[in-house]
Amino acid sequence: MIALPGTARRFCDGVSRRNFLRIGSLGLGGLALPQLLQAESAAGLKSSQKSVIMIYLPGGPPHQDTFDLKPGAPSEIRGEFKPIPTVVPGMEICELLPRLARVADRFALVRSLADGIDDHSDFMCQTGRRKGNQPPGGWPTMGACVSRLLGPANPAVPAFVGLEPRMQHRPYNAGNAGFAGVAHDAFRPAADAKSDMVLNGITSDRLGDRRTLLKAFDQFRREVDSSGLMEGLDAFNQQAFGMLTSSELLRALDLQQEDAKVRERYGQGDPKVHGDAAPMLNEQFLVARRLVEEGARFVTVAYGFWDYHGNNFVNARNDLPLLDQALSALITDLHDRGLDKDVSVIVWSEFGRSPTINKDAGRDHWPRANCALLAGGGMKVGQVIGATDRWGGEPSERPVLFGEIFATLYQRLGIDVNQVTIPDLTGRPNFLVPEGCQPLKELIG
Amino acid sequence: MARFSFVRRCLGTGLKWAVLLPLTAVAAGEPLVIHYRAGADRLVLASQDARQQLLVTADGQKDLTRTVTWSAEPPGVVTVDRTGRVSPVADGTAKIVARDEQGQTAAFPVTVTNAAQRAPIHFANQIVPIFTKNGCNGGGCHGKAAGQNGFRLSLLGFEPAEDYDHLVKEARGRRLFPAAPERSLLLTKGAAQLPHGGGKRLDPDSDDYRLLIRWITQGMPVGRADAPTVTRVEVFPTERVMALNSEQQLVVTAHYSDGSTEDVTRGALFEPNDKDMAATDAVGRVKVFNQSGEVAVMVRYQAKVAVFRATVPLGLAVNQLPPARTFVDELVFRQLKQVGLPPSEVADDLTFLRRVTLDVAGRLPSVEEVSAFEAAVQQERREGQPDPGDSLSASAPKPAWKARDAVIDRLVGSPEYAENFAAKWSALLRNKRTEPRHARGTYAFHDWIEAQFDRNVPYDQFVRSILTATGDLDENPPVAWYRQVKSLQGQLEDTAQLFLGQRLQCAQCHHHPYERWSQADYWSFGAFFSQVAYKGGSQPGEDAVVHRRGMPQATNKKTGQPVKPAGLGDPIDRLSADEDPRQALAAWMTSPDNKFFARALVNRYWKHFFNRGLVEPEDDLRDTNPATNPELLNAMAAEFVKGGFDLKELVRTLTRSSVYQLSAFPNEHNARDRHHFARYYPRRLGAESLFDSVNLMVGAESKFDGLPPGTRAVALPDNSFNAGNYFLTVFGRPDSNSACECERSADASLSQSLHLLNAKDIQDRLAADVGRAAALAKDTTRADDEKLRELYRLALAREPQPQELQLAQEYLTKKTQAAPAGKDAAETEAARMKARREAYEDTLWALLNTKEFLFNH
Repeated sequence: MIALPGTARRFCDGVSRRNFLRIGSLGLGGLALPQLLQAESAAGLKSSQKSVIMIYLPGGPPHQDTFDLKPGAPSEIRGEFKPIPTVVPGMEICELLPRLARVADRFALVRSLADGIDDHSDFMCQTGRRKGNQPPGGWPTMGACVSRLLGPANPAVPAFVGLEPRMQHRPYNAGNAGFAGVAHDAFRPAADAKSDMVLNGITSDRLGDRRTLLKAFDQFRREVDSSGLMEGLDAFNQQAFGMLTSSELLRALDLQQEDAKVRERYGQGDPKVHGDAAPMLNEQFLVARRLVEEGARFVTVAYGFWDYHGNNFVNARNDLPLLDQALSALITDLHDRGLDKDVSVIVWSEFGRSPTINKDAGRDHWPRANCALLAGGGMKVGQVIGATDRWGGEPSERPVLFGEIFATLYQRLGIDVNQVTIPDLTGRPNFLVPEGCQPLKELIG
Repeated sequence: MARFSFVRRCLGTGLKWAVLLPLTAVAAGEPLVIHYRAGADRLVLASQDARQQLLVTADGQKDLTRTVTWSAEPPGVVTVDRTGRVSPVADGTAKIVARDEQGQTAAFPVTVTNAAQRAPIHFANQIVPIFTKNGCNGGGCHGKAAGQNGFRLSLLGFEPAEDYDHLVKEARGRRLFPAAPERSLLLTKGAAQLPHGGGKRLDPDSDDYRLLIRWITQGMPVGRADAPTVTRVEVFPTERVMALNSEQQLVVTAHYSDGSTEDVTRGALFEPNDKDMAATDAVGRVKVFNQSGEVAVMVRYQAKVAVFRATVPLGLAVNQLPPARTFVDELVFRQLKQVGLPPSEVADDLTFLRRVTLDVAGRLPSVEEVSAFEAAVQQERREGQPDPGDSLSASAPKPAWKARDAVIDRLVGSPEYAENFAAKWSALLRNKRTEPRHARGTYAFHDWIEAQFDRNVPYDQFVRSILTATGDLDENPPVAWYRQVKSLQGQLEDTAQLFLGQRLQCAQCHHHPYERWSQADYWSFGAFFSQVAYKGGSQPGEDAVVHRRGMPQATNKKTGQPVKPAGLGDPIDRLSADEDPRQALAAWMTSPDNKFFARALVNRYWKHFFNRGLVEPEDDLRDTNPATNPELLNAMAAEFVKGGFDLKELVRTLTRSSVYQLSAFPNEHNARDRHHFARYYPRRLGAESLFDSVNLMVGAESKFDGLPPGTRAVALPDNSFNAGNYFLTVFGRPDSNSACECERSADASLSQSLHLLNAKDIQDRLAADVGRAAALAKDTTRADDEKLRELYRLALAREPQPQELQLAQEYLTKKTQAAPAGKDAAETEAARMKARREAYEDTLWALLNTKEFLFNH
């Protein structure tokens, strides 16, 4: 028997064998979830419908005045707001977000989003990719990918619903279906499809007459088409008629059907369009919840206008309480309805804002650091991932990429980013997230 | 046991066996044949590791490999397993015998040498294929550019040297453990003895596993540096007619640079191109399902591919065929007979008129055209020249061929032909306005394209003008292509995909997984564009394209070495620094011998008219993606070249054919046909044609910014109008983002349905005072049935059926009568008028939402 020297030898990368074993066992834990899910479905247990609600804050709110306060920084950096404690020990957020502070155990903060770019656009938040050098057809939004991969869960409700309006600054609407195909683009009840959804110049009786007439005329035999297109067209027509009369989708969009107390909890918001972006429609957070309940798999909301080059603190005092109410209501509501395991929520923007306050009491664009808030989806919440340096200028711990957040969201939908691809217009298969991006271990545990 | 069964079989077959004894007499056409490769009449197994898959074929087509009983005589030389795989036992010669259920037999000679010797293992030739076969190095796993969980292999094993380093040298060598090979991470993970994200890939009881053990035990040899390399792979058979629900074993042979061959059936990958039609298994068995058609199986071994084609006939008698009017018909009908698939009848005359007008001119036929055509048909009927070639039953009226041909000639000669094809090509040629100042260029380029089609400039000249475009936009509008497609990669990829049907994109970063193209092919094709340079044009912000003097070359990003221009495997000789290499490229492409150029175009046009390419997708003409009717594709390409690349003539040839004019309605056999064109496959109208058709129906003029009112969407000069027109966007008008026809979406969506059923814009135009509904309601000179007839002829180019007419008339009457009575006669009349107008609006609305209207059929 040979006895080896007992000193703790480290390899050149500093990983000791003991550490290695520990890492290895963590890896095993990571594998357990899919196996569990497999076992669950094999056992015939009802698997609940998974979905994502993405809330995009156009313009980029100041990360250091919302979720990553720097009270210790010099006054020209730290700003006017004070941090308050949350129900999660050690996690502090802005004093203007007291409701969120009370539900902090139901969301996770990423404080080290590192790869934003200085471009006022929803593209990064919708696709996880940069605009340059796109494959033929262009990068699709995550919603379009999900629609293409999973299709509608309920034939009466589109898989991907975009609640944002057509925003005046066009790049805020830059994300589109790309090579996933225009049929998978968001159904937009608040924008392009808005006027098509209410009867235009005819009564519902007359629509009924027309429908009867169409049914009588439309005797063309579907069997001439073996591609399924005619069948699909009939199905969509039926869905559209349903929507113009009454339907699940319409019901989801109709807040009058919601308990007044619940509506109240989400708050009034502000219907006025802010800047060149979006209004602050708190009710859309509720609509999003209703939509995922009816079977939508991916719902996007654009909320407000956060490009505070001037009057940062005045603007924040106006806007943050609205966000505080809507978002805390959504998080609580999902939890109360037992949807917090199935519905993932992501709230973010294209970039953060500069540490230094400018001469107009504003903060300028700062793509080098930003925050994201994640909730639900059965994720490990009540934690902070990553950190920025003492001025909030650079990630100092655990830099996180947009693509890793996307990988996490896909994983929550049961889509394996290491396996699934969608072909671009040349037929080349493309992965859903940039090379190397994996779900955040901290969140999916 | 083997001996016993052999004796029993000999006794059982008696005389027949004696007849078959002269082994060399075995040849194709015999009732039962053993074989494994074309032309191979004996088998030599020259090492302990040599294996050979054999096939037994009855009557030249039917695979009996799995149903015969195999044996070898004398015993002790080879063994043959149930699947027909031969393994050596000891040196010697023997005879392998297969015997079918009826007692027929076939035999094959085999020689075993060096049975005790094992060849040294070669990493690239023997180990890497194991990773490919078992999916380890696929694009979804360790073959990704970043690898998977820290372990990286080259995609599909295209870079064995890199794989060797990753396996042997990385991770402190813990992936392989020569002291206890079976404890190597490679094997414990691969066999899922340790948790492995990819699951169990290797069976410890497999040849692959044992070979890996041997390789590790031997100390992971790389193998001889001068070892032969695979030059090609061969699949046997290459094609078969297979019965519904039948099987075919394939044999894959690798040919090495030293002239040797090896059976690599178990190491190869098999992939059918149509998974609804066929499935393959790991040992090379193809199973076709209960669906007739054409299916191809791609066979991959190392970087080489081969393809097996199966025709699965329906097997019915095809007695009645329409007349063969062009060679297209002959070749399609020949195939229909081969596969036993009866075609539908020829469509009626008016259906043809609507179809061909949409396809050639991109619009519905006008009411006047319908009437004129009907008159011509009547005239032809009266003249009553029976067509001698027409074997159709006398019950249906005979197609008025002359009137149909006349329509084709008229349409092909019309300016709308040029407009329609300019719209198609303008999108493919990326005529995109990304900034307002681009408008000058996009308008000029669009006009230029339209003029080329109008003047019927030969296709080779058309392409040459674009590829070699030099100078300023004012003098030479095709330089707009170089403005939009700026990078060398973009230029070479678009050129290859659009004009040659070759998708090279994959080969930029790694060997193309489904093709023979390597990175060297990619970059040397790109070298043709290496001397393209830009300088300021005549207008501010516009570029002119110039040739930069110098020897053309590009850098192969893989090797870092410069490469000279070469046309996809064809080197181009002697280019001087003064010549624009794009001229040489155009000359190579448009040469009558070019293997890609004409085929790509005729397939693209076939798709335009038949709604499915002979090769699908239409711009992916891989060897491994064969045409459903290769003879037809070749014949069309040859004819196109011979006729001087005449596009109008091509359009005439296609549309005159009986095949193009077949009915879309299936007979009882061809409803599921997707490959053989036994009937016309319908297609939804393109966004532009649909937009124009809706406008025509409602009697409205289009309004596009900066263009005259009434400009048809088909005639729009560039993509910029999509943004302001929800209709065009939602129905998928392409944005000129790529050279791929697939950018034009024909998918249905909820947004589309909702828009067509309920758009304010459409409703406003329906209800406009100047619209068609108002005019029809006001018109008191004609009876309702006459007006309804006109609507049907406008929308559907046909007369309404009596019940349709009755239904519509009843609706008009009912609505009019339901109008509320006013306090005087004038008011009552006004209310009735309003009701009539609304009833016409409803009728128009219903017609334009029917599938018959929305589809070209």
